[in-house]
Amino acid sequence: MRRTFIVGWRVVRQLLRNPRFLVLSVAAPLVIVYFLKIFFDTLPPTFDVARYAVPVAAFLVHFLAFLLCAIALVQERTMGTLERMFINGFRRTEIIAGYVLGFLGLATFQAVAGLAEAIWLFELDYDGETLLMLFVVVWLLAIASVMLGIFISTFARHEGQVFPFVPLIIVPSVFLSGLLVDVSELPNWADWLGHAFPLFWANDVIQYVIESGWTLADVQSSLAVLAGYSVVLLLLASRTLREEL
Amino acid sequence: MNAIEVSGLVKKYGRFEALRGVDLSVGRGEVFGLVGPNGAGKTTLIKSLVGALRPSGGGVSVMGLNPLGDRAELRRRIGYMPQGPTLYEDLSARGNVAFFGAAHRTEGLRKKVDEVLTFTELTERADDPVHTLSGGMKRRVSLACALVHDPEVIFLDEPTAAVDPQLRSRFWRTFRELAEGGTTLFISTHLMDEAVLCDRIAILRKGGVIATDRPGSIIEKGETRLVVERDGTEETETIGGHPEDLAAALRPYGLRQDITAVDVETDTLEAVVLSLIEKEVVG
Repeated sequence: MRRTFIVGWRVVRQLLRNPRFLVLSVAAPLVIVYFLKIFFDTLPPTFDVARYAVPVAAFLVHFLAFLLCAIALVQERTMGTLERMFINGFRRTEIIAGYVLGFLGLATFQAVAGLAEAIWLFELDYDGETLLMLFVVVWLLAIASVMLGIFISTFARHEGQVFPFVPLIIVPSVFLSGLLVDVSELPNWADWLGHAFPLFWANDVIQYVIESGWTLADVQSSLAVLAGYSVVLLLLASRTLREEL
Repeated sequence: MNAIEVSGLVKKYGRFEALRGVDLSVGRGEVFGLVGPNGAGKTTLIKSLVGALRPSGGGVSVMGLNPLGDRAELRRRIGYMPQGPTLYEDLSARGNVAFFGAAHRTEGLRKKVDEVLTFTELTERADDPVHTLSGGMKRRVSLACALVHDPEVIFLDEPTAAVDPQLRSRFWRTFRELAEGGTTLFISTHLMDEAVLCDRIAILRKGGVIATDRPGSIIEKGETRLVVERDGTEETETIGGHPEDLAAALRPYGLRQDITAVDVETDTLEAVVLSLIEKEVVG
């Protein structure tokens, strides 16, 4: 456990000492949400902005948390520091959990900033409970994204090999997770496939809570699946991250 | 018990055999050099010894421990300096050393980090980010990371590659100090003027050891040549390396006026190693 915190603290210190990376990872989703606002402003007033604003902010957090974490871990591999960590006695569970801890801070910041901007820009009016639940779901999605990034990083030998996973995993999730259209309108197989993406479950919770009169019972199963994603991806990553070749 | 025992070590990458039945043993407190051209298998051998590679065959033991089976215990007792910088560039030298030191639950880590930074002469730049340091300083930081937990065996993969002669000499002073303290050093290099500083060396070629001996004994496998210049013409004769051989070789020439120069040329370690590599003489 102590060594997990050591890895986590090292990841945090590295992030803090890299302001360009830090600013980009937080500023990029904020700028994109602003572009979304400009785009939505061109649509007729009858357009349901609330249905898309928070899910898109959640997607951006999901995408960036995945990409940044995967690249950071692949960089460890290409620079040889991952191997050096292993040879120095760090275990893979400690490295993975340390990464999760380190990126959790960044993911939390991204979730808060992205959500706050979407709510402010689109003038969304939610009560405290709804805001809290929206934050919880975006945060859980960010954790699942970090786990996904760690898992995918085990298949990449260099940073460039992370990018093919973007059209393979991230882009389909935009179309199949109910973000743009209701999954019930998709062919049966696409509906099922959509359920495989963490964004589907996050969007499911978001759509519930932005409607008035939601209860925890309505969303707890989707929240549990989202949390389950993180656990499964953590277990998969700890099996695929190899200490020796 | 020897510090390192390797018997019949084989490492294959698909059909390519990077190590082909390597046998060697290294005593405790010994400075052991692994010499060979690029691609000979030096890094593969070191990585197999530190447990970063799973051998395809044969046996490896470091301090009586299996690098894979006894991973946790072994890693507390070994230090490893890889070929590249392999440091966190955004962190300071101190931050890097403290991070790798913390992995080993080093007692009094803060004091130990200070000691090792002093030992590697990095105190003045200890708090600067690594990316602002010179290449030589980064090598010293990397060495400090390998030393911070007082390992019993240190594996150094081409530690002085791309390092200036002054720093190289400082590194070797450090290695000797460590060996005098009882630490075993396993150093790979392709620089013969470094190999000669080792207690023993193994010459590796295409994944196989072709000779293992003291550098002096390997030099003795080379040739000594007597070069006599007579009337502006050079005559070269291969002789034995002993003083009496030289006397015997000179006797026929006497001290005649027409002999204008006499020189004795002895093969350097590099020449002997190159000739061994070329001939693939099994030592």
